[in-house]
Amino acid sequence: MNQAQNNVSAPVVEAPVKKKKPVSLTKRKARAGWLFVLPFVVGLLVLYIPIILDSICFSFFEIIPTTSGYSLQFQGIKFYHQALFVNATFTTTLVAGIKQLLVDTPMILIFSLFIAVVLNQKMMGRAAFRAIFFIPVVLSTGLMETINASDTLSDYMGGGSGGGISDGSGTNASSEIVSAVDIERLFEGLKIGTGLVEYVSNAVNSIYDIVNRSGVQMLIFLAGLQGISPSIYEASSIEGATAWETFWKITFPMISPMILVNAIYTIIDSFTSQSNVVMSFIAGIYQNSQATATAMSWIYFIVIMAIIGLFVLIASSFVFYQRRDS
Amino acid sequence: MDNTQKAPKVMRESKNRIRVEFEDRTPFWQRMKSKIFSMYFLTNVVWYLFRFILMIGVSYVILFPFFSKIAGSFMSPSDFVDPTVCVIPKSPTLDIYKAIILENGYLSALFNTIVLSLSTALIQTFVAALVGYGLCKFKFKGNSVVMIFVIITMIIPHETIRLSMMQHFRYFDIGGVQGLNIPGLIQGIVGIFGGHIEINLMESFAPLILLSVFGLGFKNGLYIFMMRQFFTGVPDELEESAYVDGSNTFRTFFQIILPLSIPMMVTIFLFAFCWQWTDDFYTGIFFTGDGPIRLMPDILEIPKSLETAASYAAQKLYYTAINNTCGIMIILPLVILYLFCQKFLVQGIERSGLVG
Repeated sequence: MNQAQNNVSAPVVEAPVKKKKPVSLTKRKARAGWLFVLPFVVGLLVLYIPIILDSICFSFFEIIPTTSGYSLQFQGIKFYHQALFVNATFTTTLVAGIKQLLVDTPMILIFSLFIAVVLNQKMMGRAAFRAIFFIPVVLSTGLMETINASDTLSDYMGGGSGGGISDGSGTNASSEIVSAVDIERLFEGLKIGTGLVEYVSNAVNSIYDIVNRSGVQMLIFLAGLQGISPSIYEASSIEGATAWETFWKITFPMISPMILVNAIYTIIDSFTSQSNVVMSFIAGIYQNSQATATAMSWIYFIVIMAIIGLFVLIASSFVFYQRRDS
Repeated sequence: MDNTQKAPKVMRESKNRIRVEFEDRTPFWQRMKSKIFSMYFLTNVVWYLFRFILMIGVSYVILFPFFSKIAGSFMSPSDFVDPTVCVIPKSPTLDIYKAIILENGYLSALFNTIVLSLSTALIQTFVAALVGYGLCKFKFKGNSVVMIFVIITMIIPHETIRLSMMQHFRYFDIGGVQGLNIPGLIQGIVGIFGGHIEINLMESFAPLILLSVFGLGFKNGLYIFMMRQFFTGVPDELEESAYVDGSNTFRTFFQIILPLSIPMMVTIFLFAFCWQWTDDFYTGIFFTGDGPIRLMPDILEIPKSLETAASYAAQKLYYTAINNTCGIMIILPLVILYLFCQKFLVQGIERSGLVG
């Protein structure tokens, strides 16, 4: 009786007691969530956002070193103007880089999807092949990329015509595996335009580059393929579907979210890698004028963001999401 | 009336195996003929061969640069002008290896890089697991905003923030008040005690460790994303039952979730370790190469004693071979690590539930 009275009067009479009321589960979980992401959030606020803001600042200001650190002098859009209109080669490099990106991305996607499908089948030495195929993911990055770029020895050892593998450095005709002429002969009767022939021969000749850059994509596709339930394939084969139909009607739609993810990853990866034409150009500019280089990379960033945005907008209407029945 | 087929003979071979024998079985040759000359079999064989050759071919493309590097590393200068030498050297030497180890300070670079890569990779893996778990399993306000920022850190090119990153750690100042050119609080406080204090974190491990602790290091956005995708595949019931048993959030994380996610964490550790190992962007920002700490990028130079070892004709190829040998020495520890961990790499990715 007494207890009940207390309970009723407590909120009215003693306000502090109300505060002691245990926090609801959702609130507690939210707090725990913030605790978990705390390192990242703190780093973001303390380090990353200032760095980004500074970077934007630096593209508008000139840095004048003083005895104690540096001071900034506002320059307006001078560096952007310099990048776009004064520097003769930036815009052409930018256009060339974007063209290269648009050419490379489909090649990498097709190649990595194909290899992932093959690696997903049961075959002799699958484990060994998988181990070999993922070597580039781990080993051909950063430093090795620069070493590979200046590696003339493998062209030399390839023995001139025929056996050599063009690794980006060997632009001489002798190191090409196939020339456009060979493929043209192959496609002679098919009435395919020269553009496509060139595209295919380019793809074959830069196979080393493509293989090196499609490691992570292969991994993602492989994970996606593993996620498709085998019972779907079983049912379709009972219904009499051929392998071709199975691929286009089952594998392809089921893997389409992965294709979207991979396309974005490929674009981002190739435009942040230093072997990229535009990136190496900007790195060259960086030696002379750091502010102009920063302005240029911001322009580049915005352009790439626009491309990704456009792509996502178009592609997301084609992507098929399996509804989860959980 | 005996025109019906005889019942097949059933024999018991062993405890749980039987063998059925039909009287009028199709002859062996006929069976083989119908098997081999069917379209199905033929397509399978062709596809099998094609696949095998393709796989071998692509493997060759991947491995050939490594072979050529290894072969070149054993060559002496005379081999490069000898037209009969293609891959296997005639007078193999270990000169290049010796020179790199003795003159380029390989061992100190190796030690420093191991310390750096190991510490950053361990921190990055742990932080990625922590943040990924927080982003995946807790629905709080701002969850998606944090996720967007994770993605932003992934897609902003390094070149863009190179300059400001360098300035930030050259004149280290938490909060970045100095960088924004605002008379800052810290500056004010320091000013009271007389003079300007300049914290220079260049030429030390501090910037990279700091970035790792905050989950902002090299490709950390990708690790967080992978971890988050992995945790979506872990059923909620697991944690709920732990909560019911009276375990708090952190204990659940450390005792139940972490042991579960070891394959994924090994994968991420492998990525983090290897990418930090061969990274020359961040190390290029924070280490100018003149400082006391030698790292892997610093050994990439022509040793003094080999500079004039080759004749003019062979010099270019010889220098390339030396460069390649540096590359081999740099990745040698990674190759050993990869041989042990590649199983985890594939498994971790396959189980990651990256799907959807």
